[in-house]
Amino acid sequence: MTVLVVLLALVVALLAVLVIGLLRSHAEILRRLHELGAGIYDGEEGTTVQPTQGVRTPVELRTRPGVPEPRSVEGMVATDAHDITGLTPLGGAAVAGVVGTGHTTLLAFLSSGCGTCANFWQAFGDGAGTRLPGSDTRLVIVTKGPEAESVSAVAALAPPGITTIMSSEAYEDYSVPASPYFILVDGPSGRIFGEGAAGTWEQVATLLGQAAADAGLAIDGSPLRRSAPDGRLTGPERAARADADLLAAGIGPGHPSLYPDQLVGGPDAALPLTDGAPGRPDAGADR
Amino acid sequence: MPTLKAHGLAVTPPSGWDAEIYTRDRDPRIMTPQGMQEVVPPIAHVANFGLPPNRGDFGGGAVELMESGAVFVALIQYDQADVDTALFRGKGIPWPLSPDEFDPNNLQRAFAGQSGVQRFFVAGGRPFCLYVVLGSHRLRATLVREVNAVLESITFD
Repeated sequence: MTVLVVLLALVVALLAVLVIGLLRSHAEILRRLHELGAGIYDGEEGTTVQPTQGVRTPVELRTRPGVPEPRSVEGMVATDAHDITGLTPLGGAAVAGVVGTGHTTLLAFLSSGCGTCANFWQAFGDGAGTRLPGSDTRLVIVTKGPEAESVSAVAALAPPGITTIMSSEAYEDYSVPASPYFILVDGPSGRIFGEGAAGTWEQVATLLGQAAADAGLAIDGSPLRRSAPDGRLTGPERAARADADLLAAGIGPGHPSLYPDQLVGGPDAALPLTDGAPGRPDAGADR
Repeated sequence: MPTLKAHGLAVTPPSGWDAEIYTRDRDPRIMTPQGMQEVVPPIAHVANFGLPPNRGDFGGGAVELMESGAVFVALIQYDQADVDTALFRGKGIPWPLSPDEFDPNNLQRAFAGQSGVQRFFVAGGRPFCLYVVLGSHRLRATLVREVNAVLESITFD
């Protein structure tokens, strides 16, 4: 009897340990879920959680070191475009028209001292700013004024063919959070197409291309044409038609005629030089 | 509309225009006909298009970019010793300009369709040259109004 009581007590104690462990595990799960924000919207008025919504978790997004975080939406809405007024690195007073122009302007807010900006100074010096998205887009580099920047350092970094203006006023006008920062302004409307920051010029160019495309512009500034005019084929359609015609003529991928040893029309042309031979429109000119 | 002030000149270009008042670095290779070092004068450039950073005093490098609706204005101060020469003596501020004053043959560098005018004058006791290029001679009546609006904003300290 005593043994039975002892065994029963041991079983009860073991079960108690298991229950306590389960409760602690459950409490830990609830604590973690609470930290992730589960259920924080459940009590909000007008909020209905759908079964497919899952857990909405407020995640704090951060940019990588050296890249400033974007402004808040409120800040973007409150900011209008302005012309850029300041000093040139060579000491002149200058204004660069931004609002009311017929083109878009990419404002590159850079500093002579920040490490990330060095990538952009280098890229612009290498000619990266010559092909920009938007309508005839002009690149204008803006640094803070002489009171906050080294004039000689900016003069040494300023690419020869790109307008560079030192203007702390422009930083304030555009509420630029830090350098590097890029703002694409539509001249005719004075509207800001897009803005942000990145670590390399390639990333900025991609973002600007998307902003331009969203505004209906191709990378070269021409209007995006998503469909050809009536009666005309789009580029892919023309390519498909050419492929079909070539296949109908027995010319497919790898056909020797696609890889001539010499240009057609030369003394030893790869294609036959018979009159009326396909692919030889200038046959008569040789005579 | 911001007002640019430098080197005793001030100009208020319309919104969307480019402008710069500057003096360029002295080039030791450039000498005057008298064998003296050149005088590096204050220069003001105003344009209704994006001015390239590298330009000549009279707009070389910029006027090549002008389209038909473009306007380029250059105001170049001359050597103070020239103020009493026949080129400047007795000549006051020449604006407002008239469309009839513009002629394609007035251009420093002739480009098809463009038109220009050049005037020498004295303002504030200082000798200046005004050089204006229009992107289109045919549109001069319209473009000259824009030019005159800019010129009226120029002041001399």
